[in-house]
Amino acid sequence: MMDKLIFGRYIPGDSLIHNMDPRAKLMTSFYFIGIIFLCNNWQSYLLMFTFTVAVIVLSKVSIKFFIRGVKPLIWLILFTVILQVLFTTGGREYFRFGIIAITELGLMNGAFIFCRFVLIIFMSTLLTLTTPPLALSDAIEYLLRPLKVVRFPAHEVSLMLSIALRFVPTLMDETEKIMNAQRARGVDFGEGNLAQRMKAIVPLLIPLFVSSFNRAEDLAIAMEARGYQGGEGRTKYRVLHWQGRDTLAVLIYALLTVALVYLRY
Amino acid sequence: MDIRFKQVGFTYQPGTPFQHRALSDINLEIKEGSYTAIVGHTGSGKSTLLQHLNALVKPTEGQVEIGDRVITPETNNKNLKSIRKEVGIVFQFPEAQLFEETVAKDIAFGPKNFGVTDERAQEIVKETLEMVGLDESYMERSPFELSGGQMRRVAIAGVLAMEPSVLVLDEPTAGLDPQGRLEMLEMFDRLHKERGLTVVLVTHMMDDVANYADYVIVLEDGTVVKQGEPRDVFADIQWLKDKHLGVPTATAFSQRLADKGVVFDRLPLTTKELALALKQINAGQAGESQ
Repeated sequence: MMDKLIFGRYIPGDSLIHNMDPRAKLMTSFYFIGIIFLCNNWQSYLLMFTFTVAVIVLSKVSIKFFIRGVKPLIWLILFTVILQVLFTTGGREYFRFGIIAITELGLMNGAFIFCRFVLIIFMSTLLTLTTPPLALSDAIEYLLRPLKVVRFPAHEVSLMLSIALRFVPTLMDETEKIMNAQRARGVDFGEGNLAQRMKAIVPLLIPLFVSSFNRAEDLAIAMEARGYQGGEGRTKYRVLHWQGRDTLAVLIYALLTVALVYLRY
Repeated sequence: MDIRFKQVGFTYQPGTPFQHRALSDINLEIKEGSYTAIVGHTGSGKSTLLQHLNALVKPTEGQVEIGDRVITPETNNKNLKSIRKEVGIVFQFPEAQLFEETVAKDIAFGPKNFGVTDERAQEIVKETLEMVGLDESYMERSPFELSGGQMRRVAIAGVLAMEPSVLVLDEPTAGLDPQGRLEMLEMFDRLHKERGLTVVLVTHMMDDVANYADYVIVLEDGTVVKQGEPRDVFADIQWLKDKHLGVPTATAFSQRLADKGVVFDRLPLTTKELALALKQINAGQAGESQ
């Protein structure tokens, strides 16, 4: 069921990208999504593509993963692209039928949107493929810290986040197990009409909720027993280290931004 | 109903980077009316094998014959319900599958899915509750207010209620107290003997295997490394130790006696056999000394 989903998985590895500071990776990934909107001509997209491919090569992760990551979203992308192509007008006109027209500008816009989608998916897939979830939540906690000034519970949010991330695979296993158990008792998942399908979910959902409650209770007790009293005065086991390569990455991004601004105007 | 595996192989997520081979070249037969034990290390593929027994998963290679149905990689996912009714599986920690408001409803859930009428379902609920050692007062209670052991019983009753002809048990006694364990195992044994139920038991407890099973299948790394009657499988104690599998307590003890010079015709597997053997030896010695 979830087999096809590549996005959100982590592949252990040892590469320049793997070893980067998660804060740097998280920030630059968001920044990448921001600056991609600076692109408005083919030169700038070419630059971004070259950059992305270079980073992927550096990560030593097979490009197949990324193509697989795009696959589940391909219909969404194509839908958007086709809408763009059909409804954007401008430049030379190739075909017209009522309000639908295929024009030079429309085709160009469609191509750009396609590139934008693919690049964003590639970059965010790269982030999750090369960063363990716990490192990500550490990074988020660190980056949320300034918000403490406005009484934002940064520690609590990141604790919830890391617990949630930790239990995603466990809950997936649990789901699979309960599904199998109920199938063995004669439930057909994903068969019949909508009402029947919804009804078939009940024997799966209730046990899942119940086991989550039990799990939460056990975990809370185990945490208290080990002396957890909240975020105040805790030290960290996993300490993040900002290194030269992380500064370098930020510098490269700065250069990239300058280049994009130059290409735009 | 016989279940036959012919060169069965199974790979999780084939064709993806997360591909993982769980079973390969499995050939085995579970005969009607037999009590088969499947043993093996954690991760040896036992649970994957179990899911083939009622077509929860289809083999990626070879074929599984369940009664007169043949499951191949190409088999359609539809119309497998008749198999699921015949082969009931009690998964590990089955109490996690309870969901209805009352115990009675939960037990009746399986049979109703297979088209049993309400009246008949009520009868079945009473019968199976009694079978697992709970009385009728439990029928209207919520399954979530029961103790762990009672929940386990209700869950097992829910599978027995489908009246399967093959009962597959994946470590049914894990986490139960000694008394509950024994009651459970005795119940399965009774069903096996009195109703001719085919039982497939996955367990780490070699004593249970020696006490109840009449056929043992040893799995390692997704392949069958040994199969046969318990006596044959347990004959080579060193081999079992090498495979990190246990030896029945009685056999281990007899081995130590044998090392000290007690001569057994063949190593006893159960406490009963051991007691008998010692009695005979004793009688023999008494005869000699006269």
